[in-house]
Amino acid sequence: MSNYYNMPKLPTENSPKVEIFVDDKPVMVPGDTNLLEALKAVGIETPHVCYHPYLPVSGNCRQCLVEQEGPRGRMLVIACYTPVAPGMKIYTPASSARVKNARKATQEFMLVNHPLDCPICDKAGECTLQENYMEAGQNESRMRPEYGKNYHGNPAHQFIDAKGQLRGGKHVDLGPRVLLDEERCVQCDRCVRFMRSIAGSEQLQLAGRADHTYITTFPGEKLDHEYDLCVTDVCPVGAMTAKYFRFQKRVWLLSHTPTISMDDSLGANIWLDHADGRIYRVMPRCNPEVNRSWLSNTSRLAFQQFDKNRLPAMGFRVIQEVISETKSVGGKVALVAGGACTIEDLAALRMLKDSLGDSAELFGGTFKKVGAPDGIAMSGDPMANRMGFKLMGVPDDNLADLVKRAGEFKVLVTVNADLFGEDAAAASALEKIPSRIALSAFNDATAAKATLAFGIRHWSEIQGSMVNSLNILQKLNACPVCPDEKLRPAYEVLSELAGAKFGCASEAFRQAGAYAPALSGLTYDSIKSTGNLLEGGNA
Amino acid sequence: MAECVKVCTQNFGKGAQDIEVYKKLGGYANISERLFNMSQFELIDYVQRSNLRGRGGAGFPTGMKWSFVPRNSGKPVYIVVNADEGEGGTFKDHFLMLEDPHRLIEGLIIAAWALGSRAAYIYCRGEFLPCIESINKALNQAYAAGYLGENIMGTKFCFDIFVHRGAGAYICGEETALINSLEGQKGQPRLKPPFPAVSGAWKSPTCVNNVETIMALPWILQHDPSEYAKMGTPRAGGTKVFCISGDVKNPGVYEAPLGTPMMTMINEYAGGVVGGKLKAVLPGGSSCAPLTAEEAAVATMDYECLASMKTMFGSGAMIVINDTHNMVDLLNCLGNFYSHESCGQCTPCREGTGLLHRMLNLIVEGKGHDGDVELMQSLCGGFGGVTICPLSISLGGPVSSYTAKFRADFDEYIAKNPDHAKPRVQETYRPGIFW
Amino acid sequence: MREHIQGAVQFVSNNRLKFDRPAQPIEALPDPGQTFGYVNKEVPQPSPKEVLAKLETPEIKERCADLLSRYPVGQGALLEVLWLVQGVFGWVPREGIRWAAKVCGCAPAHALGVATFYTMYNHAPKGKFLLQFCRNISCTIKGAPALIAHVEKSLNIKTGETTPDGLFTLLQVECLGSCGNGPMMLVNDDFATDVENDQLVMKPGTTLTEESIARILKWCYAHEDNVPKHDVLGGIVKGHGGHPGAPGATAKPQVADYAPPSPVLNVKAEADENGATLTWKGAPEFTKIVVEKKNGSKWDVVGEPGVKDKAFVDAAGKVGDVYRMIATSGERTAKPSNEAVTTQKPAPVEEAK
Repeated sequence: MSNYYNMPKLPTENSPKVEIFVDDKPVMVPGDTNLLEALKAVGIETPHVCYHPYLPVSGNCRQCLVEQEGPRGRMLVIACYTPVAPGMKIYTPASSARVKNARKATQEFMLVNHPLDCPICDKAGECTLQENYMEAGQNESRMRPEYGKNYHGNPAHQFIDAKGQLRGGKHVDLGPRVLLDEERCVQCDRCVRFMRSIAGSEQLQLAGRADHTYITTFPGEKLDHEYDLCVTDVCPVGAMTAKYFRFQKRVWLLSHTPTISMDDSLGANIWLDHADGRIYRVMPRCNPEVNRSWLSNTSRLAFQQFDKNRLPAMGFRVIQEVISETKSVGGKVALVAGGACTIEDLAALRMLKDSLGDSAELFGGTFKKVGAPDGIAMSGDPMANRMGFKLMGVPDDNLADLVKRAGEFKVLVTVNADLFGEDAAAASALEKIPSRIALSAFNDATAAKATLAFGIRHWSEIQGSMVNSLNILQKLNACPVCPDEKLRPAYEVLSELAGAKFGCASEAFRQAGAYAPALSGLTYDSIKSTGNLLEGGNA
Repeated sequence: MAECVKVCTQNFGKGAQDIEVYKKLGGYANISERLFNMSQFELIDYVQRSNLRGRGGAGFPTGMKWSFVPRNSGKPVYIVVNADEGEGGTFKDHFLMLEDPHRLIEGLIIAAWALGSRAAYIYCRGEFLPCIESINKALNQAYAAGYLGENIMGTKFCFDIFVHRGAGAYICGEETALINSLEGQKGQPRLKPPFPAVSGAWKSPTCVNNVETIMALPWILQHDPSEYAKMGTPRAGGTKVFCISGDVKNPGVYEAPLGTPMMTMINEYAGGVVGGKLKAVLPGGSSCAPLTAEEAAVATMDYECLASMKTMFGSGAMIVINDTHNMVDLLNCLGNFYSHESCGQCTPCREGTGLLHRMLNLIVEGKGHDGDVELMQSLCGGFGGVTICPLSISLGGPVSSYTAKFRADFDEYIAKNPDHAKPRVQETYRPGIFW
Repeated sequence: MREHIQGAVQFVSNNRLKFDRPAQPIEALPDPGQTFGYVNKEVPQPSPKEVLAKLETPEIKERCADLLSRYPVGQGALLEVLWLVQGVFGWVPREGIRWAAKVCGCAPAHALGVATFYTMYNHAPKGKFLLQFCRNISCTIKGAPALIAHVEKSLNIKTGETTPDGLFTLLQVECLGSCGNGPMMLVNDDFATDVENDQLVMKPGTTLTEESIARILKWCYAHEDNVPKHDVLGGIVKGHGGHPGAPGATAKPQVADYAPPSPVLNVKAEADENGATLTWKGAPEFTKIVVEKKNGSKWDVVGEPGVKDKAFVDAAGKVGDVYRMIATSGERTAKPSNEAVTTQKPAPVEEAK
């Protein structure tokens, strides 16, 4: 609530370094940030609940206390709201018993009214309170049952449970995607700040005051926003849970694959959390330049379709035969690349085009509408790798040309391009092309219209790279959830058709360097986890 | 009881709510050429020399506060009058506004001249509707007489005063919470810095002053600043409006110079303790540490003496308690009050005041245990200096001091529980069987 | 496996026994509505149409326009607009909160947060006479708990409840700011310790007693059909031009030169063998300062110190010289400072050992 306009200043690579004294030892820290980030930069973790690097500072959890030497002696200050000043003297629990006790006391207060239902809580395992407890608390309870817990929640939700205890606010339906458990809420107000300052739609608010405060929407209204699932990410405890992930999996059983969401040209950085050969959830992966900590619902929930309606794996010799037959009679081949094609796919596609010479022509683009960036984690452009197309010299917007000249071609090869699914009316002209070959992960409308349809791997299952709308080269990693091990990435198939099989993504990426000078100096392994800004980028 | 110069309460009971009466009593004499020929800097210097300190509780020098307001920042400067008087035992502003609203308006015009303010807001607590009516009536008269509005008295100076009715939140007496409330938000204190003098209401420089502070200005301007300064102590000038309540014969509002002995206030102004012998005095409102009868005998009512006795002067609200009361009952009142009025921002305050309140309630109900007092003291240790505003200490301080000074009262209550010696049962869980 | 499950069942039932408490009837739920504005039951809400019909009257529209003109941002008027809603209904229905949010240009959820934060907004209908008793420390000392118990008994309701005839609602509230007259109560918006001339009064030196409460209740019964009402915002102030820039405001911003420019204050001059040293207190708005020395009846300019300087030395100055300083800010020149007669600088005091 406090000063809602105070966004924290985060350190960057260019931050000036200043000397401060932590526990009387001099250390060099970034000078233009807050103490919490500065201490993090030198490896000192400060427990915190309400602070989030991409939300305005509210400073209400009082967990990140440190001691600062001031004109009036040593004072306790909150690290998240104290700017770094050269020469300042800071004391952490490592040297100050007062800080240790203060953090412990805050921890104790935070747990006074918190239900210890960790065994059935979805957040258990990644809960900030649990982490802080192990770090700062570890205190034995001093409370008697008679002191009682205060009922946290909407008075209209309270009931008496089987044990005779006053309970309430369980699984409150906040909206189509989010459930609220009022008892678990620690009133950090992160979700309120997210909805107000980031999503720009103040749908959540803390009602009431003192320890009767509870999170609520306006009565009768639902929490419904393109980014509403982000509130479950920012929630430090299990108060906000996503309906799709409730009681699905204990989080410590999940493995995490860092990759890029290929349904938007911003290329949001994500974690694919998987176990038992399937994806359980998609979480935003923090990248300060791209999507910060946010992810749209569209990108987050897309995974539910990844293993459905897949095309089976097949041998590719028949494509070879069709293409060479066409070439021998002087017919032309149209090679169409869709937005989810990686740099490696495009390299293989260009090789194929080169091997076919003048009888093949490259097309690319989408029939979907291009929207405007929302300033959070979507650029609005469904052609995910559009900048990569430009870089690789593959046309990124000439489908209209293809439709116009459909009669010239004998063979149509679509790669990751669901032309019929995007706009059946516009694509209907393509039915004039006698041989239609679809390389696609899904049995979509284009595959249905194709004369030959071949299954390939989905972008979540391949190694690769893409260039996002900010001209940042980003790396995709393969999540081991491929429904059929026989499925192969598009670049393998295409390069094989061209007569030079790429065994792995780094080989394909090396080939891409031959087509795009900007990539020639790079290797696939040198792509950083947060991406490499290419020249001419405007991140 | 020496007759003292009345600075703020001189018009009490004289019908000064009417502008004609107020003018006859010497009101609005300051809104004249003398003020109009003063520069902002001269006026601030004048107030600084009078040694006037804020009367809201913190006692910050008013002139110095004004001098912090940046000039020529390109943003309007706001004056906000803090009339959100909610501290237990304080009721001076209520009667000041009720009896002499024009003095507040006159003081505000002077303050506005010093700060170059265009608009002032009187943030009056919601319960004081009669005060708001009184001020609004006075404002209407002042507008009609030309003391407010555009080009006041033919100068280039324009000034408007608005009354903002609060809606029941003690914490809005904290200046940044008050500003949040004025902006139409919840009254929750803000993180500092920036301080309101630099970035307050709507991110503009804002001066928040107590009603009594503003109402002292007309008198100070009429007289020499040194005359005001010499009435008080060396570090705080002037008289103070004291509120005396509790077990005294004549509770009420009394104006007296700073530094008056506490027993003089109780015996001579308020007519002495009734109903029993003096047990304790809260010298500065409900949130301060109590003084025992022995300590009260030597205390004087000023900032320094009370600070040296580890309590505080606060708003000068004395609550007198006789020996028929058990201090636990009174502390339970405070627990009820502060846990109810916590804004719910900082964890220690939000959860801690509620917990203390529940524990105190149990003790009063005769369900206390040995060790409860030590636990409460230990919990209060977790309040010190860790929250945004001092509300948590307003309960933590009394809990620490009441338990230290009146331990026998607590033991008396705890002894009423037949099981008071029963140790806390450690509920043991057997992890590992489910997973 | 079997033993495993049995063990778990045993564990659960053991715990049940350990934590079993006597079943509590639902009626015994503590009602936060006693102290907070909201209640633990869903309150029947009037329909949006009904609410808007009552709120969108020309009179209220005018009040709202007046309120909005007072604040640079519309949201500032939120508390006051919610008061208008409470003035119409006696409480704030949800649709009223939504309407207030719309008037002030903020989100409905924000207005809900505000309306539930402040305790004076009622979230359920109250009786015709809202009796609010102070239970804070001063009133408790003077016997408020006994008095509240007396009222509960005589009205036959508990705190937080409304009498069946809908006449009285009894609340306990925190400090009412009238501790000198404690115990204190509010009857609707009036502080009352007694009835005089058919009016509720609070006079210095009087307090509530069981007898005066009886008189007040009698007064309430007498005015049952014609409850005296105050304007929720304490009346309308005419003549103000609003806040400069706010919608509907006619006020212009303050001009920078409404007051005369600041002179230099408190000039002091002290001379020693190095000349006269001048010190002064400077205002923040100076752009230029000129030091002048008296020469017969004329003033000679002797120097121009920087505006941030703390001292100025005139090498030719000696004891008895008269100086003054003139400050300029922009194009405006302030009146001259006080005339400072130079005195002998005291010899530096040896530091005590």
